[in-house]
Order: sequence, then structure tokens, then C-alpha cells
Amino acid sequence: MSNLVTSRPVLAAASAVAKSEDTRLRRLHFFIAFLRARPSFAVGYAIVAIVIVVALFAPWLAPYGPMTADPTVYLLPPGGSHPLGTDGAGMDIFSRVVFAPRVDLAIAIIGTLLSATIGGVIGAVVGYYEGQRAWRRAISTLVMRSADVLQAFPVFVFAIALVAVFGQSVKSIILAIAFVNTPIYLRLMRIQVLSVSKLRYVEAAYVAGASDAAILRRHVIPNAVAPLLAQLSVNIGWSVLLTAGLSFVGAGVVAPTPEWGSMIAMGFQNIVTGQWWPSVFPGIALCITVLGFALVGASVEVLADPVRRRVLSGSLS
Amino acid sequence: MSTSQRQPRFPLHRRDVLKGGAGLAAAAGLPGGLIGNAAAAAANTLVIAAPATPQSLDCNFDVSLGTFESIAALYDNLLEFKKIPDPKQPGAFREDTGDHPDLPAGLAIQGKLAESFELDPGGKFIRFQLRQGVKSNWGNELTAEDVKWTWERKFALGALGAFFLSTLGLENKDGVKVEGKYTVSINLDNPNPLLAKLQPNLYNPIYDSTKCKQESNADDPWARKFLENNSAGFGPYRLEQLQRGQQAVFKARDDYYRGKPAIDTVIFREVPTSATRASLLQGGAVDIAQYLQPLEIIKLRGEKGVAVDSVDASFMIWLELNAQIEPFNNAKVRQAMNFAFPQEQVLKTVFQGIASPLNGCMPNIYPGFTDKFWTYKHDPDQAKALLKEAGLSSGFKTSLAYNAGDPVQEPIAILYQTALRDIGVELELKKIPPATFYNTVSERKQPIIFYVDSPWCPDVGYSMTLYFNSKSFVNYSNYKNDEVDALIRDTARTSDQTKRLAMMTRAQEIIMSEAPWVFIAFPGYHFARRANLKGFTYYTSNNIRFQDFSREA
Repeated sequence: MSNLVTSRPVLAAASAVAKSEDTRLRRLHFFIAFLRARPSFAVGYAIVAIVIVVALFAPWLAPYGPMTADPTVYLLPPGGSHPLGTDGAGMDIFSRVVFAPRVDLAIAIIGTLLSATIGGVIGAVVGYYEGQRAWRRAISTLVMRSADVLQAFPVFVFAIALVAVFGQSVKSIILAIAFVNTPIYLRLMRIQVLSVSKLRYVEAAYVAGASDAAILRRHVIPNAVAPLLAQLSVNIGWSVLLTAGLSFVGAGVVAPTPEWGSMIAMGFQNIVTGQWWPSVFPGIALCITVLGFALVGASVEVLADPVRRRVLSGSLS
Repeated sequence: MSTSQRQPRFPLHRRDVLKGGAGLAAAAGLPGGLIGNAAAAAANTLVIAAPATPQSLDCNFDVSLGTFESIAALYDNLLEFKKIPDPKQPGAFREDTGDHPDLPAGLAIQGKLAESFELDPGGKFIRFQLRQGVKSNWGNELTAEDVKWTWERKFALGALGAFFLSTLGLENKDGVKVEGKYTVSINLDNPNPLLAKLQPNLYNPIYDSTKCKQESNADDPWARKFLENNSAGFGPYRLEQLQRGQQAVFKARDDYYRGKPAIDTVIFREVPTSATRASLLQGGAVDIAQYLQPLEIIKLRGEKGVAVDSVDASFMIWLELNAQIEPFNNAKVRQAMNFAFPQEQVLKTVFQGIASPLNGCMPNIYPGFTDKFWTYKHDPDQAKALLKEAGLSSGFKTSLAYNAGDPVQEPIAILYQTALRDIGVELELKKIPPATFYNTVSERKQPIIFYVDSPWCPDVGYSMTLYFNSKSFVNYSNYKNDEVDALIRDTARTSDQTKRLAMMTRAQEIIMSEAPWVFIAFPGYHFARRANLKGFTYYTSNNIRFQDFSREA
């Protein structure tokens, strides 16, 4: 008897695990089918994966120190022991190119996550309280108009100004990226929360006596966060570009930190005199990385949209 | 006249631009429009690609790059150095700044606005007999009153003018005496060996006081506002147009007392990027490309239709080691920093072999320079030993500020950073925007900072005073040595050149031993031009003078 009593929950748990594994397996199959149907997205995921792997294993992949200047190999063309050549200070371009994503990705990911967190939380609060009591509405309006003001500035110029104010450092660039991106997430989350907060289950939670914070945390934000996730990937790619742009104009990382924009800036003067490699290779790496994140972002956008996903499921089955 | 918005009268059409070949792409990026090779082809028009247009035309206040060329075109001085063929560069000329004991004042100097001059052998006065009939660009005749007004303006406004007064020891404006309509003298209380040598200085020209007085008022008694945007001088050109950030146009004066210059119109265009300037010259869109990078110079040397004149120059590039910031207040650390510097490799790579080692503390083209105290050949072991003696065997951390606008500074800084790592010194690099770099230098708050400069007066005492007199504004390394100060002071008080040279040799010995700089290079002066342009002359002020040029058919 006792065996029967204890074995029922065990069977139920085993059944749940099997169901969960089955769901995961089905999702994986769907994802693989999705990538087969859209190979450009597969390329995007491959690029991002490679860039991340290269960044992680840079110390083992790079044959030379990324900041070691050797004057005996000044501006060597690609080939031999320096597959991508050397730059105007005798630094190995290949080593610098593989080390660069450590800086670029770190800045872009931290900056973007920071902006998504801050913008998401503010957007959720603003959206949740919009249309309620007068003073809360006033605060909401004030926040949205402030975001308008921030977004009225050209992003790049605004970022340069912020770096100039905070001083030239990695921390400043992260702050600048977070600052210029925050209004994007704020708007996205607000729009989502405006629609989610009117749904029945939110009303039910309110009637059940849940606090505003609990409703936002348990019921509203989890159901409104999907578009933000899709935006994240696009924004990381864009932030890599912004980081490189800031370094190119001299407002980014301090030389000789391996960073693609800084490398392009160091080498572009040499193009006229025929030494194209110091700036072209980091330019290609930058271009491919941004493309990869853009493609991943586009795929997440499709996957996160229930209507497009349903259509896709139909066509894949 | 002056800053008017009139369009320059030179034959430039879009169709001509399309013929510009290799320069076209670069020309498209120029501010203010395109430059066509038709303009360059015009025999009497000179098109110059310069890093900047003049910020101000008042040489009492402005030392920007474009201002130098403008002052040389619009104004003339009382005296000038004679010109000689450059010993190294065929077809080029240079000022004869050597010592000539057999000549008056021991210098190869001659009258310019002055027909003749008389120098007191004791160095206490100089008397000028001015040329008669010399007219300014406003038609006013040069008289002794113009010379007096010019010096009075220095007394009244200070700034760069005050530098000339203090260098000469001219303490009272009554020291400048009008002795006749065309006779004027400068009289000092104490002898000064620079009395004649400072007269040809680019920033010591003579103003047309009649015009300046007309443009003055109670609020602006010295015509500052007028002279900022206009000229009132006796030089070979007048200003036709000035659009800051775009271009300045100069027209040759028909009534110039030495005859109208061969080049009638000079278009001085702002092209901020050196690569673009090189490209424009290569494509034939401009006649002269100024301030190019070593690799660009090397490349242009092999281009058809382009010529590069390379001459020894007064330019020097070095690192200021701030003697008031630890650990650079210790001479042993400063010496170690020099032994750690890979000078030979920097010259070979960054400068592509077109510069020579800075192996002294003043220009090697000036009389009195010596390299016999140079000991700092790259030697990391010696550097480590010196750091150990200074109690810094485990190294230290410091920073180096460099100018983002000078492409040679960043690679030098990176090479030095790597070299210093070998002796345990961690060097952080600080990139300073060009617009604020000079301010950063003059604040003297950086432990190490790049500096590029040249003393314009070809004199050993003058050079040493500028950089090593503890009271000099330009002593950016905060270097102070009582014996050096005394030697500099005594050198400024005697006209006996033998004694002066002996004292300054001793000063150089002390300075080289105490190493307030990290000695980098004499970059030289490299003048890139179309091959058919003749007449390049090197001046110690490191600028060109439009009136020197003519074009071969």
C-alpha cells in the first residue's frame, strides 16, 4: 500500500520530466528546421558564436601580444608569421583582431543590458501607471517627454559629448551606450505594458489583493519582455558599431587597446600610401560581427512574434 | 578687401575638376567645394593644401599654422638673412644663419625695409636707414614713425610682443627713437647680442601705422580688431579673402617695392587630413601639400610630376619629462627614460629614415650646437641600473600625453610603452584632442608630454633660454638648474660670441646630463610640391613665403 502511495508522485514526476524533455526536443527540432528554412539566420548565429568563441579563446589563438609593439616588423604586409600583417607601431594585426571582440563585445553587451534593465523597469512603471491618478500620469508624461528630449539628439554626437563629460575610459563608453539606448527600451516596454496591464489575469491579481510591485514583477513584466529580447541582439550589434565609431574619432578606448574602431583609426592614414591592411582587416571583422548580430536580432524578432511563428510552424511542418 | 565674401577670381570649373585624376576623390571631400587642376595649372596661381587657415592675422597674439604663412605674405621686416643654396637639396635655398666674424655684426644679414643699418659693436643700439618710397597695401609710405608705432604696440599689448621686449631687454618705449623721417634706432640699457638677429624674425614685422591709427578708437587704440581680420603691412601680398576653415586668398601687390611677385594669386585651402593633402598633390589638384607624414613623403618622392625638397631644419620633437612630478624630479630616472627610448628604431620605422636623431638640446643647424654630450643610446640594462640607483628597481607607473592630430606621436608612444615595459615601467597613454593639446602642454601638469617646436632665432643663447631658463614660459618640463640659469643670463649680456659659445657649451653639457627631455628626433623640413614649381627657400620659422615661388613653363 505504502509503495503504491509513494510510487504515484514518482511516476507523475517522471512523466513531467519526459514531457519537458519532449517539449525541448520539439523546440530544438523546430529551431533547426527554422534555420534550414532561413539559412541567413543560421549564418548570423554562426557568426555570433564564432565571435564569442574567438573572444573567449583569444589568448590561445593570438600568436603575439595584442599590445606588443615590435619596431622590427613595422607595417609588414599580410603573410608569413603575420597572417594579417602588422600596423604602424609593429603590432600584429591578427592578434589584435582576435583580441578586439573582448573589448567591443564586453562594452556593447554590458552597455546594452544596462540600458535594457533601466529602460525596461522605467518603461514598465510608466506604462503601468499611465491612465491612473493625475499625479502618476503627470510623472509618466514627464518621463516620456524627457525620453523625447534625449532621443532628439543625434546619437553619435550625444555619445561623444557623454564620453567627453565622463572622461575617456571603457566605463564612460559603457555609460554612454547605456544612456543613449535607454529611451528605446523605455518606449518598447511601456507600449507592451500598456496592453498587458489591461488583460484579465492582471485585473484578477489586482482583485486578489496583490500589490502593484508584485503585479508588475509576476504578471506584467514577464509577459511584456519578449520584444525587448529581440531588440537586445540588434542593439548589441549597433553598440559594437557605436563603440568602434567613438574609438575611430578618438573618443573611445585608449590606445593601444585592441579595439576594431581604434585599429581602423590608426591605420586609415596609411591607405593612401598603400598599406591598406592595418585598417581593412579590423573593418571586415567589425562589419561581419555587426551583420551577425543584426541577423540574430532579425531571427529573434520572427521567433518572438506569435503570429509569424505560427505561420512559420505551418510552413515548416 | 579683407574678410569679404567675394568669390576668388581664379579659373575653376567643375569640368576641370573632373580632369583632376587621382586627386579627384580626395578633392571631393574638401570643405567649401572642389579644387580643380585648372587652378593649379594656371601659371600665376598657386594652390596650397594646408592643415589650417589662419585663425587671426595679428601676429602679436596668434601662433596658428596658417597665420605663419599669412604674416610672411602680408608683412615685411627691417632686416633679413641672406639666402644661400641649400648644401643638401639641389635647387633649394636657405637663410644663411651661420656665424660670419668677417661681416658686420658677425652675421650674413642685410636690409629689407631698411636700406642699411648700423649695429653698435657693443650691442647697445641699432640704427636703421629706411628705404624711401616703400608703400603699404593701403598706399601709405613707410617712415620711422611706423617702426616706432610697431614697437609701442608691443609695449602696450604685451603677449608675444612682450616676449621680444624681454628677450632684447628693451624696458622703455623711449628706447625706440625716431631720428628723422627715414631714420630710426633701437637703444638698450644693456648690451644684447640678439639686437640684429631678432629683426628678421617672422613675428617682428613693421605695421602701417597710418592705417592702423585710422582703424583705432578709444576702446581699441592699437587696432586689434582690425588687424585680426585685415593687414596693414609692407609685404608683397594683400589679403583678398579669408573664410576661416575654408580658404584664404592672397593677391600679389603691383606696387611692392621689390617688384611684383611671380605668383599673382595664392589660394590657401584648409585640408585637415594629411593623406588628403598628399592625394590632392599627387592628382595635380594643388601645387603644394604642407605637413605630410613620413610615409606620404616617401611615396610622393617617387610620383611623376611631384617633387619633395628635404632640408635640415630647426624643428625638434621630444618628450617633456616634468621635473616637478615624481619620479621625474630625479635626474637618474630621467636618464633611465632616455636609455629606455628606442630612438634608432623610431627613426627607422615611424620616421622612415627621413629624420635624424635629436642628439642635443637645440637645433643642430644653429651655431653653437654640440652633440658631444650625447650618451643615450638605447640600453635597457643601463636604464634598469639607473632606476635601481634611484630606488625604483621594481619600476613605476606613469602616463604620456600625445597629440591626436599628429599621426607620428601615437606609434612613437606605443613603441615607447612596449620598451618601458621591459624595464618595469607601466606607461598609460593619453590621447589629447589637437584643439586642447597646446593648453595641456602649457598647463605643465602631465608627467610626460610630447612637444614639437623650433626656436626661430638662430642663436644658441636664444634657444637655450626658451626651453631651459627656469623663468621661461616655454620651459614646459619645469626644469630648473641654477648654474644653467646663470649661464643663460650671462650669455644674454655679452656680444662676445666666443664667450657665449663657451658658456652655452657648458649649459648643454649640464642639460644633456640631467635630461629634462626624452630626445626623439630632428624631423627636418620636407616640402612637397608640383615639380614645375621653383624657388623653395627654407626659413628657420619653418614656413613658406609665396613670393619665393615661380613656375616653369
